[in-house]
Amino acid sequence: MEYRPRIPREGINVTERHPLSELVILIAGIAAVVAALVVAAFAFIEVAIRWVPPSFESRLFGRLWSADAGSEQEDPRLEAATAVLGRLASHWEGNPYELQLAIMEEQTPNAFAVPGGMIYLTRGLLESVESENELAFILGHELGHFRNRDHLRALGRGLIVSLTLSALIGGSAAESVPRVATTLTQNGFAREQEREADTFGIALVQAEYGHVAGTDGFFRRLPDATAGIGDEFASYLATHPVSEARIEALRSLARENGWSVTGELTTLPRLTSGHSRGS
Amino acid sequence: MVETAINLGIPLLLLIGTYLIGSAVERSHYREIRIRESRSRRFPTVNLRTPPKSWNIVGAEMVTGNVVISIDYFKRFLAGLRMLVGGRVTSYESLLDRGRREAILRLKEAAFERGYNAVINVRLETSRLASSNRKGEGTAGVEILAFGTAVKFAK
Repeated sequence: MEYRPRIPREGINVTERHPLSELVILIAGIAAVVAALVVAAFAFIEVAIRWVPPSFESRLFGRLWSADAGSEQEDPRLEAATAVLGRLASHWEGNPYELQLAIMEEQTPNAFAVPGGMIYLTRGLLESVESENELAFILGHELGHFRNRDHLRALGRGLIVSLTLSALIGGSAAESVPRVATTLTQNGFAREQEREADTFGIALVQAEYGHVAGTDGFFRRLPDATAGIGDEFASYLATHPVSEARIEALRSLARENGWSVTGELTTLPRLTSGHSRGS
Repeated sequence: MVETAINLGIPLLLLIGTYLIGSAVERSHYREIRIRESRSRRFPTVNLRTPPKSWNIVGAEMVTGNVVISIDYFKRFLAGLRMLVGGRVTSYESLLDRGRREAILRLKEAAFERGYNAVINVRLETSRLASSNRKGEGTAGVEILAFGTAVKFAK
């Protein structure tokens, strides 16, 4: 037997494909599939939230936040806010929620609704509101989110985004669920949802006080937050429509319905030293 | 913002860096492999269990050629993407191909240096040294061992 040394050609054991083209094809393909799945899941959520009764929602999520509720009951402003919330909710016919209020120790003025009927107000918000009417509108706005089930939608979307991300880049989904429940419910509303919540909120204020004076007070102080960014740009980026646009929308709503934009403002209890106390 | 930039920027830089370095290393390794293969191609290295009858063998010894290789960040990233959809993990193919060929070359060199004329009964073994998980703990390493019986012909 003769030994015939011959070197086989390259590319038998190795697929000759450029690694960068492989990278591009894989990323594009996976991104397309993931995007399609996310869109499908978002559509599913739109259907699913109609089938989740508020009672079930409260049972499911109520326990998550119940530790926060009432922990600051001695705060006179929170007490006042709770009373206002109760009166506002009485104008919401068929309100299925058992509403609760809690303070979040944060200086940035903000409020958000989380599943199960809980509304969080930041310490900064409670300190900066100047009248009960202003606070009432903010609470009414959050009630609007409840009525439109925006909080569930945001939660569902947030969960899907977080699950997708953790599936793709790793990390435990379980540990991110509570974080998502708060942060994304807080930030995840679209501009259209904000506008509808505004509309609902101002109607509740009108029903309670007989006028809508003071409702724009909060927005008037908001622009500081977006100072420095061009208005158009900010409006495009922000999930909250720029304050001016929202104030204008509220004014025209009041005009159409013949609501009075002037009236006596109800004062809030004075601040106690409570704001310096950490939680 | 800064956090996001760091979280995205570092892996991106790692990807670009390891791609550039990794592909340069791979190209030069292949160049070297081809030269050594063509130089040693007349040295019979076969996987027959027994030598051909015509060979007049006067000595024999076991020889080994051993390589330990590790994957780079870019190849692992590519393989991770591939894992989602299945199919050929091309980024590992070239790596293992290089490893096997290098191991056989070292086997030949070991036998040649000791004055043998051929290696029969060549076998290849692959074993994983350590696993590499996504947290970057441990080193992904594969050992490729080529071993066989070096034989000496009568003059």
